[in-house]
Amino acid sequence: MLGDFLNPYYLQVASFIMINIILGLSIYVTLSSGQLSLGNAGFMGIGAYTSALLTINYDMPIVVSVIAGAIVAGLVGILIGIPSLRLTGVYLAIATLGFGEVIRVFMINWESLTKGAVGLSGIPQIGRELLKVSRDAGFNPLDIGLKNNQYVYLLVLIILVIINILLIWFLVRQNKSRVGRAFAAIKMDEKAAEAMGVNITYYKVLSFVQGAVISGFAGALFAHVMGYISPADFSYHRAVEILIFAVFGGSEVIWGSIFGATFMTLMPEVLRFISEYRYMIYGAILILMMAFRPQGIIDVPLLQKLQLSKRRGKHGSKN
Amino acid sequence: MVLKINNITKNFGGISALTDVSFSIKEGEIYGLIGPNGAGKTTMFNMITNMFPPTSGEITFLDEKITGFKPHKITNKGICRTFQNIRLFSQMTVLENVLVGGHTRSKSGVFSGVLRTKGQRAEEERLRVTAKEILELVGLSEFEDAIAENLAYGQQRRLEIARALASDPKLLLLDEPAAGMNDTETADLYHLIKKVQERGITTLLIEHDMPLVMRLCDRITVLNFGKKLAEGTPEEIQNNQAVIEAYLGSEGDDESA
Repeated sequence: MLGDFLNPYYLQVASFIMINIILGLSIYVTLSSGQLSLGNAGFMGIGAYTSALLTINYDMPIVVSVIAGAIVAGLVGILIGIPSLRLTGVYLAIATLGFGEVIRVFMINWESLTKGAVGLSGIPQIGRELLKVSRDAGFNPLDIGLKNNQYVYLLVLIILVIINILLIWFLVRQNKSRVGRAFAAIKMDEKAAEAMGVNITYYKVLSFVQGAVISGFAGALFAHVMGYISPADFSYHRAVEILIFAVFGGSEVIWGSIFGATFMTLMPEVLRFISEYRYMIYGAILILMMAFRPQGIIDVPLLQKLQLSKRRGKHGSKN
Repeated sequence: MVLKINNITKNFGGISALTDVSFSIKEGEIYGLIGPNGAGKTTMFNMITNMFPPTSGEITFLDEKITGFKPHKITNKGICRTFQNIRLFSQMTVLENVLVGGHTRSKSGVFSGVLRTKGQRAEEERLRVTAKEILELVGLSEFEDAIAENLAYGQQRRLEIARALASDPKLLLLDEPAAGMNDTETADLYHLIKKVQERGITTLLIEHDMPLVMRLCDRITVLNFGKKLAEGTPEEIQNNQAVIEAYLGSEGDDESA
């Protein structure tokens, strides 16, 4: 039976991978115009709190509140982006890191709204809500041989996978369009891009805001998968973790941050016994990567090699 | 007049890079801007494209004042430049470089790009056709899928011109296009600039290769230490005593041209 294969623990880890991939994509899209933003943990927090509070206080449906969370994160992204995009490189990184901390301090101190450092609990969970809906419709998970928690985790994972596919599709297509070329041109040579008529302010703000919207979206999903959030979830550590997805996996191609997010989420689960030392290992990985493979594990030449060997493989099978 | 430079002065701190320079360019002309190193030629390009604003003075393009416009807006108006130290998008393919050049002549945004609407697909197709035609013109058709940084030096210079042409300019600014080229490449460049002229595009050319400048240009302005030294036809410039002195030095102690 299907039920024998589905371990709720694995399903949950897979869901976390999916959320982290969204976060990896959020830093990738901003990097694709050559800007390093470390504020995505902050935007994630804004999305999470917005969506959680809308559902708790106003009984809003989760679908609506998640989208609202992403939009609010995007609006804050516009406000932060326009002034801070005068900065480049390491200055922008530090300014956005500071922004993330400001957001976290807000969450801790605005106790009347956010319940402070204790965090928000009892956030409606996507899985449970769906279980309720299917029960009301007269469907019992046991009919297909699934326990309730298996059914819930499976549904959540399926939804997250679909979201990821749509998001990757969106970004891959954007990359191949006029907007993607403008991003790449700015990344490679800002002055030349400007001389070719690319409105660099507009496209920089656009990619920054896209990063904010995507991380806000990831934060909102995180809130409704976990059911509990606190300011500690969106701290400096989270910002560094998101950065490592891109740095480790590769920041030049979309598959880099996807790989990075998957690997870095799986690693502490596989190596449970050393998870206490996770941040130490992160640090060591960053140093080693900078020394030996600054472009990350996955880069353009590697992808070309993979494509070539695939083509060769096909050719070989024909003969 | 396509371009009118009126009394442009540019100071960097206490140093005057350009002092009260004026000249104007007629439609269809190939206009030369020459002078020893550090005379302020590239600074003048930066003034025209407003990469730096002038300290004083005014520039008009097709009777419209463009001083103070953002650089991308000036490109949109129809002025596009190349760079002295080649600034291609080095990891893009040759074709993609030219497609970026067509940025101002297209308008699809995030959603039409992602959804590949009918209009967006037609626009991409049009950009590609134009880009390929321009690559044919500069003689880089066979390299369209090559990565820009892998091209030979002379080819990279021609790709810069192709990228600028893709923005469909009325005025093309070329900053030392023949630098580092051998004789054959320079001869090809001569024909390319002539072909650009036949398309009705006006050219402003900075160049140190004097035989090329003298053959190509209809009129020339000579700058020296940020000031206009002379203006005239190639013949007039060649016989101008002040120009000869600036280039050869009055006692033969300066760099030769």
